[in-house]
Amino acid sequence: MFPKPIQSASPGAQIAYKTLLPISLILWLLPLIAVAVFSIKPDTDFTQGNYWGAPGSFEFVNNYGQVFFNSDMPRYMLNSVLITVPTMFGAVALSAMAGFALGIYKFKSNLLIFFMFVAGNFVPFQILMVPVRDLTLDMGLYNTKTGLVLFHIAFQTGFCTLFMRNFIRQLPFPLIEAARVEGVAEWRIFWYVVLPLMKPALAALAVLIFTFIWNDYFWAVVLTQGPESQPVTAGITSFNAQFRAAYHLMSAGSIVAALPPVLMFFLMQKHFIAGLTLGAVK
Amino acid sequence: MRSMLKATVASLTLAAVSAGGAFAGSHALSGDLKIFLDTSNPAPRATMEAMIADFAEMHPDLNIETTVIDREAYKTQIRNFLTADSPDVATWYAANRMRPYVEAGLFEDVSDLWAEEDIANNLASTKGAMTIDGKQWGVPYTYYQWGIYYRKDIFAELGLSEPTTWEEEKANCAAIVASGRACYTIGSKFLWTAGGWFDYLNLRTNGFDYHMDMAAGNVAWTDDGVRQTFANWKELIDMGGFVANHQNYSWQEALPFMVNGEAASYLMGNFAVAPLREAGLTDDQLDFYQFPAINPDVALAEDAPTDTFHIPANAANKEAAREFLRFVVSANVQTEINNGANLGQLPVNAGSAVDDDKFLNEGFEMLSSNSPGGVAQFFDRDFPAEMAAEAMQGFQEFMVFPDNLDDILNRLEKVRARVYK
Repeated sequence: MFPKPIQSASPGAQIAYKTLLPISLILWLLPLIAVAVFSIKPDTDFTQGNYWGAPGSFEFVNNYGQVFFNSDMPRYMLNSVLITVPTMFGAVALSAMAGFALGIYKFKSNLLIFFMFVAGNFVPFQILMVPVRDLTLDMGLYNTKTGLVLFHIAFQTGFCTLFMRNFIRQLPFPLIEAARVEGVAEWRIFWYVVLPLMKPALAALAVLIFTFIWNDYFWAVVLTQGPESQPVTAGITSFNAQFRAAYHLMSAGSIVAALPPVLMFFLMQKHFIAGLTLGAVK
Repeated sequence: MRSMLKATVASLTLAAVSAGGAFAGSHALSGDLKIFLDTSNPAPRATMEAMIADFAEMHPDLNIETTVIDREAYKTQIRNFLTADSPDVATWYAANRMRPYVEAGLFEDVSDLWAEEDIANNLASTKGAMTIDGKQWGVPYTYYQWGIYYRKDIFAELGLSEPTTWEEEKANCAAIVASGRACYTIGSKFLWTAGGWFDYLNLRTNGFDYHMDMAAGNVAWTDDGVRQTFANWKELIDMGGFVANHQNYSWQEALPFMVNGEAASYLMGNFAVAPLREAGLTDDQLDFYQFPAINPDVALAEDAPTDTFHIPANAANKEAAREFLRFVVSANVQTEINNGANLGQLPVNAGSAVDDDKFLNEGFEMLSSNSPGGVAQFFDRDFPAEMAAEAMQGFQEFMVFPDNLDDILNRLEKVRARVYK
């Protein structure tokens, strides 16, 4: 069996493993631990150079209170939800339909269209920055949540369609043929036969897209400005002030902003891992 | 017939509106007024919002919409919103920092406001900084002094006093270094702090006019005057005057050295006072002195970065925007927004009062009576952006590797040739 189970290694190796694992884990997590500790420190700790010591005073309530009640953070969080959830539904719905068409029907340009979806994934999205910004501007969608949602849907659909098409390909085709023999309309086949079978893929994809979009920073900065439309990832920088960076508030804000995707991960862990591996192995 | 009637009504309204404009504030403004602010700090933000609320109260028919954008994000977004989704009023900075937008035709010419008696008389000190091509492109609302903030208790312990000459400055520094401390804390990671040092050393060595000539691209970086500035700087570096590894710290991360007594002073803007006080330094421990004279033949000149309001060229409601600018620069408003509870900075209007704060008073005194050479904005505001970026990189390199000076100056000279074509 590979890798060899640690239980069957030599005692020396076992001891080394058991001591090194926690150490490397802590090293690995150090930045996150630092953010968590910073988020309960007072501002003066940073001016006094107390970065790694114990907090000068325990400011959990104060810092998080500031984040929730004395900043635009709740608004940014709401924006994030209003951007992420429609994108999730939109991208999954579109790609389920596109995947169905590409996976089930045989037509001439099927492969060509499919490859275009795949090819879209290979375009580094940064090079689209200026054209997309101009496009949203011309369409009057600049600095709106709708603009961001539409763009995310368009861009995520490529990856999602690849995923969905491959999943649908693996479904037993005789099921669909049987339904056709019964005279079931095509859209009913999609709705009543294929869609229920796709539930694991839908769930996995929804979870993946949720975390992708929630964590997006690039487009949030390019296409939106200000608390009326920016999601939380871009909003955290609003704790940076003219002269000073409020490290304690930024840390608290980051933790609050990271909670939804982390929660999503733990609640939907099974789907998340399925989403990353689905289609990877036949 | 009908269209004629319409036209008459329209022209009458127009006449009424423009007549109203002559009696500032006496008529009702209406429509929307979109204001973009970069004052994202909690205190400045509250100050601005309160000020705007006062303005709104004076003009109940005006629908004011305020957007506050994070200071750093604002610097990148301004290009965007001036061309695209233009507000009616926007904050920005004076001097060369507004030049790109002035030259791109994105800021409105507000020379008409500067021709008004109130503004012409009371804001004269900053008129130069607001002028490009003989026209004014915005109005200032606040500025603050730069200078050396120092630990009075450490100076007392070593028996030192505030220096006024370069010899005294160096003698003080030698004594501080001998006591195992650094003379100056600095965090040059983001470069601009080194720009402050260059400003002062160059202003004191070669004078304001030379410095501004340099900013305009008329002086070679390899000039003997510039070399003398760097030679003076090198004296401080060679005696170990600056904290070690400063290239790894932001200006904020350099504060602990001062708070913990590992460094005795800090060449910084007045905004350093607030965090130093919060960190526990009392006014008995913390004091301020003007950067000492180096070359006795040149007049003292200071850095005092000025923050400004502008009207974007694409603004929809320029009439209301002009009225807002008048309001912002009025003596009472300037007194109010710059007091210690609000911005904690210096008002620009000569008719305003300065808050009763030790550092603000010293700064006001210094800028109004002991800066005969002139008032500069700051290195990265006076020099064009491209030149400033390269030069500040060079200053940082010089502070870490002083022996690279020739390389650095030759490189900057090449950049100068390219930037000021």
